[in-house]
Amino acid sequence: MRILAIETSCDETGVAIVEDGRRIRSNIVASQLVHQDTGGIVPEVAAREHLRALDALTEKALRDAGRQLSEIDAIAATVGPGLIGCLLVGANYARGLALAAGLPFVGVNHLEGHVYANWLYELEGGEPPSNPPPEPELPAIVLVVSGAHSDLVLMEAHRRFRPLGRTIDDAAGEAFDKVARLLHLGFPGGPIIERIAKEGDPNAFPLPRAA
Amino acid sequence: MLLALDTSTDWASVALFDGRDVLGEETWRAQRRQGDELFPAIERILLSTRTALSAVTRVAVATGPGSFTGLRVAIAAGQGIARGSGSDLVGISTLDVLAYPHAPSKMRTCPLLPAGRDQYYAAFYQERNRKWMRRSPFMVATLAEICRQIGTHTLFVGEIDADAELMLRDLLGPKALFASPASRMRRAGYLAELGWKELESSPQVKMSEIEPLYVRQPSIRVSFDQPFAPPPADARALGLPKRD
Ligand SMILES: [Zn+2]
Repeated sequence: MRILAIETSCDETGVAIVEDGRRIRSNIVASQLVHQDTGGIVPEVAAREHLRALDALTEKALRDAGRQLSEIDAIAATVGPGLIGCLLVGANYARGLALAAGLPFVGVNHLEGHVYANWLYELEGGEPPSNPPPEPELPAIVLVVSGAHSDLVLMEAHRRFRPLGRTIDDAAGEAFDKVARLLHLGFPGGPIIERIAKEGDPNAFPLPRAA
Repeated sequence: MLLALDTSTDWASVALFDGRDVLGEETWRAQRRQGDELFPAIERILLSTRTALSAVTRVAVATGPGSFTGLRVAIAAGQGIARGSGSDLVGISTLDVLAYPHAPSKMRTCPLLPAGRDQYYAAFYQERNRKWMRRSPFMVATLAEICRQIGTHTLFVGEIDADAELMLRDLLGPKALFASPASRMRRAGYLAELGWKELESSPQVKMSEIEPLYVRQPSIRVSFDQPFAPPPADARALGLPKRD
């Protein structure tokens, strides 16, 4: 089973080809640099960038995997949650591709996509590794921390999730971006703060600790 | 066979054209979810005309100006279909599509589509040297601003509600003429005709170059120095700041 998958829920355009749910044959991600000037993502600008990039990235993903569209078994795309204008670009392109190629279309929940990243592994020198990493065992507790989400979820079985808790205000990624903006550090905030934090003094301020 | 897709505004339309005849067409008022309505409509057209998608070798999409998010639905779908079927893809301006059926009238024609905030997308069309052509750039402006550029009798087509019609009559008096309700609507059959002609006369451009006509705000607005028109209302979807 070989799936071509498309992700356009936020500010990165991603196209991947994955075999048997785990083996990454190609994985092309275009980050949108246009948002660096604004210190945050403008949804309209992000959607424009997705549309400009998506078809060429799809072609490249197929080329990198050494595959024709006729060797693909299904087309998947993130259908939400995310920026609606951005999601519509990826989902409609993917549905068009699936319809024209006579393939099934699978709409995938954005957070499920994050969870299933734990099942993936890369090739080594173009070949599958001799002993691929073991699959995560189920049931499992999953912590989803991303630009827009901080969720704690119980994964009972494949594609069966029960939410346990979530942030009631900002997601972790947003907190990073907001702090970076307040301190004029640039965008996105995560990598910049992570780099600067390594040179910081952990004892500069007394912070409360959970016992 | 050419498949034509138009999701430029609330009104959406799909048609199948064989180079001589429109074989099937569906035009509907979308409920803000064109993404969910477009593909069922495409499948209905293919089914009702007993056409396999493999018979489609050309795809035409409307490129606006219009709702940016709406336009991207048909353009992304058209790119996907063209990539999946190996078809040629062509983009045609939505205003060209609106004006085209009125070419035989030989009248100066002005298609209008709502652009929000009391503004409209517009352009002027007229016959010159026996050739029907667009005679202005694509505009986004209020009706008053658009009418300031009108000196002769002008036929208005497109999405004109009762208030807009009244305002145009106020501004232009007898110079404002209105196409009948059915003939001022947008239909993908006309998009298909224009797309077919375009592909007959000029070669396919790169697919990623087919994108919405992002008509800028006019320079009278403070925001005119933005590289892009303002973002739509979903700016707060991630709680992230709007550019202003
Ligand atoms: Zn995410």
